[in-house]
Amino acid sequence: MKTLITLLLLAIAFPALSQTRITGKVTDASGEPIPGANVLIKDSYDGTSSGLDGSFSFVTEEQGLHTILITFVGYKQFEQAVELAGKDVTIAAILKEEINQLDGVVISAGSFTAGEEKRRTILKPVDIAMTAGGTADIAGALNTLPGTQKVGESGRLFVRGGDGSEARTFIDGMVVLDAYGTAAPNTPSRGRFSPFMFKGTSFSTGGYSAEYGQALSSALVLNSKDKAEMNQTDIGLLSVGADVAHTQVWDRASLTGKVQYTNIQPYFGLIRQRVDWNVAPESFESNAAYRQQVGKSGMFKFFGNFNQSSFSLFSHDIINPTIKQKYDLTNRYRYGNASYQQPVGNWTLRGGASYSFNQNEVRLDDKPMGETETGVHTKIVAEHSVSDQLEIRVGSEAIHRQYEAVRYNETLDKSEALRFTELVSATFAEGEYYFNNKLVAKAGGRFEYVNLTQSATVSPRLSLAYKPGKQGQFSFAYGSFTQSAQNQYLRVNTRLSQETAQHYILNYQVITNNKTFRVEAYHKEYRKLVKFDSGNPQVISNSGNGFARGVELFWRDSETIRNVDYWLSYSYLDTKRSYLDFPFAVTPAFASTHNFSAVYKHFISKMKSQVGFTYSYGSGRPYYNPNRPTDEFHEDRTPAYHDLSANIAYLPKNNLIVYLSCTNLLGRDNIFGYQFSSTTNAAGVYESRAIRQPANRFLFLGVFITLSKNKSINQLPNL
Amino acid sequence: MKTVTFLLAFVISVSGIASDKYTEQMSKHIHAVYTAKTVEEYQAAINALERIGAAEKTKWEPYYYSAFGNLMLATKESDGSKKDGLLNLALASIEKGKAVAPTESELIALEGFVHMIRVTVDPVTRGQQYSGMAFQSFGKALGSNPNNPRAQALMAQMQFGTAQFFGSSTAEACGLAKKALEQFGSYKSENPLAPVWGKEMVEELLKQCK
Repeated sequence: MKTLITLLLLAIAFPALSQTRITGKVTDASGEPIPGANVLIKDSYDGTSSGLDGSFSFVTEEQGLHTILITFVGYKQFEQAVELAGKDVTIAAILKEEINQLDGVVISAGSFTAGEEKRRTILKPVDIAMTAGGTADIAGALNTLPGTQKVGESGRLFVRGGDGSEARTFIDGMVVLDAYGTAAPNTPSRGRFSPFMFKGTSFSTGGYSAEYGQALSSALVLNSKDKAEMNQTDIGLLSVGADVAHTQVWDRASLTGKVQYTNIQPYFGLIRQRVDWNVAPESFESNAAYRQQVGKSGMFKFFGNFNQSSFSLFSHDIINPTIKQKYDLTNRYRYGNASYQQPVGNWTLRGGASYSFNQNEVRLDDKPMGETETGVHTKIVAEHSVSDQLEIRVGSEAIHRQYEAVRYNETLDKSEALRFTELVSATFAEGEYYFNNKLVAKAGGRFEYVNLTQSATVSPRLSLAYKPGKQGQFSFAYGSFTQSAQNQYLRVNTRLSQETAQHYILNYQVITNNKTFRVEAYHKEYRKLVKFDSGNPQVISNSGNGFARGVELFWRDSETIRNVDYWLSYSYLDTKRSYLDFPFAVTPAFASTHNFSAVYKHFISKMKSQVGFTYSYGSGRPYYNPNRPTDEFHEDRTPAYHDLSANIAYLPKNNLIVYLSCTNLLGRDNIFGYQFSSTTNAAGVYESRAIRQPANRFLFLGVFITLSKNKSINQLPNL
Repeated sequence: MKTVTFLLAFVISVSGIASDKYTEQMSKHIHAVYTAKTVEEYQAAINALERIGAAEKTKWEPYYYSAFGNLMLATKESDGSKKDGLLNLALASIEKGKAVAPTESELIALEGFVHMIRVTVDPVTRGQQYSGMAFQSFGKALGSNPNNPRAQALMAQMQFGTAQFFGSSTAEACGLAKKALEQFGSYKSENPLAPVWGKEMVEELLKQCK
């Protein structure tokens, strides 16, 4: 009995008997004190926070062997085993910095990223849609960034002395063949994919990852949106057509379908065009996006696009404009892209397949010709975080393309076909190592094998970034890039080698919350470009070469003036190449030395409107004048390009947006180049005709309505 | 024998107090979060709550209040990326709490509050996505407890802000705010550690309604 009482008393009294005082100091690796760190004994309530000088002290009644844990945001957890027995314990905790991939150093040479999540982005998805003059076209908006060229008659991205075919588009990692819609000769084409579809855009003007191949100058990497969160129906009434979309959401999946009809005839009836249209462009498009979550963190995405468009026009002879030729075109396009991502242990596996079909059926004065390209791309990538400092990525892909062009042979009075089947197989590996939060290096390589030439290429890639202070950082990138010759040359000579380019890029950038400054210098060396032997386009080889170099500046500020966001870009380009029919190395016709853009956006809350202006300038471009002797090839320059565009988005109600945009407000008659007659006139002179804008201005009006249970949702983030 | 019984009863009541060390400690630190003024005071309270959360494996309240503390710090922070960092910490704590109590209305409402503050960092870019997520969270919180006055108040606040932005009628938002205020008067949770904040917020909102 007595014993029991004693024991019970002991049980009550014992805890009070021995207390242990734990004291110490928390510092970082450089000895700087860390205030506010959480100091605790594992599995107990006891602990404290470190003071301003990093020191701490507390008393515990715990006994025996325990673990002291010290945690602080941005640092790895500190652990130390201690024996608690009434004797004072002292701890000197040195916390190791955690690698912070969000705010730490990032490789930025050559790349512009736009995303919703990451704060350190230069453009946001909404910018892409709301840039005046961009007409809600991805390439249109990116053309206000440094490194791009204003090539008004094309509408494509021309990056750093590269032509339009050197910039490739990737959706969810899969290549897109024919990323631009078909347009009449010398009129701008639009990208096939609406910026609304994507949550993130990364536009690289050089030095990109080994994961992306078959692109000489630029990779535009688009990441599609994840599962939608709400059922909604969107209706768009446009001055050039109409569209309707519906999104249905389930617990773990969502499906969006959209149909769109465009007919420019009524618009052309109102505004006179320089093109002699027989039938104005008309198109029907439908697309579908399906998202399915699989397991805890797997995601399956499917996107499909179907498009058919057609037009008919007359082209007039330069010497005698009454002689005209009818040009009919029907374009059929299908694109399917399925991708899947799944974490497996410490690895992330992702893979996908894409299918492209593009057919241009052309009739030249009713004589049939045309081309068809079918492509299948399959890819698998495995990513692994070896530690928080080292990440590795390996992958393999195959791009299979079948191409056929039909030409009408006048002399034989029958159609002839040229075709090829190309298979590019590639394997790549890349490692990214964070030495600390100041220095990161990425190195990798890409191996490609092409069936047509039975030859292989190895392309090393390397980038480094160093962030000495809180905001500014330096980056360097080097890479070797290859791309198959364009279809129109490959079909003539299927033994053509891969064209190659080497990029060297130096970059400095400072990004604070609402301001960005960036300067970049680069040198690019082209080899094995396609060249005609003695100017004969039927005899071609890889004997061409060239270079491009330049300096680019970018400044964006959305802070200094209230409700105003603006950016300025300037690019200086010095480029020459000897390729195609060039007699020697000259500046190509698409390159202008100076390019400048100013984009201004003002949100006026009283008017519930956003107003935007974009001014673009491009210095004169070279053109070929056959009236000059050969040694003066590309001596002439077009007048400079100027364009001031404006747009306004007005939100009268939660779910209604009225959008109006107009390009070239000042109505400048921009000239992109000159075409010359194929024969001389009576006076022995080749006559010229300027390549102009199809109309001085393009006006667009759209009304967008969103119907959903939640009345606050509208299409603004889409516009 | 009597003595033994008495002693046993005593021991049990003492250890009863000891096991309710949780409630006692929590009450102390919850009070500290509610009354904190400086960053240091918030940090100390958040740290203490995180310590309790780490020791107790079956309680959601410590994580609720440490998230609440970080959320309050976020509302006082003007630097966008620091604000995001604090909101990330709040969200991480909420996730830990939800691992213990996945349908707790208060936790889900607080998660919606985090999304709501997330919008303020960059309204143009984030507006649709995060306000949609906030609405969804408040809806879910009310689904699991329709009488939760905080979920009602936050929903009212969100509706009010949206209506104001688009210049449409605030009647629906103000109606809900009124209901929330009444609910603050009558709602009584059985949980002694249940949150009690939010009445002032809804009173402020009702002032704007007039």
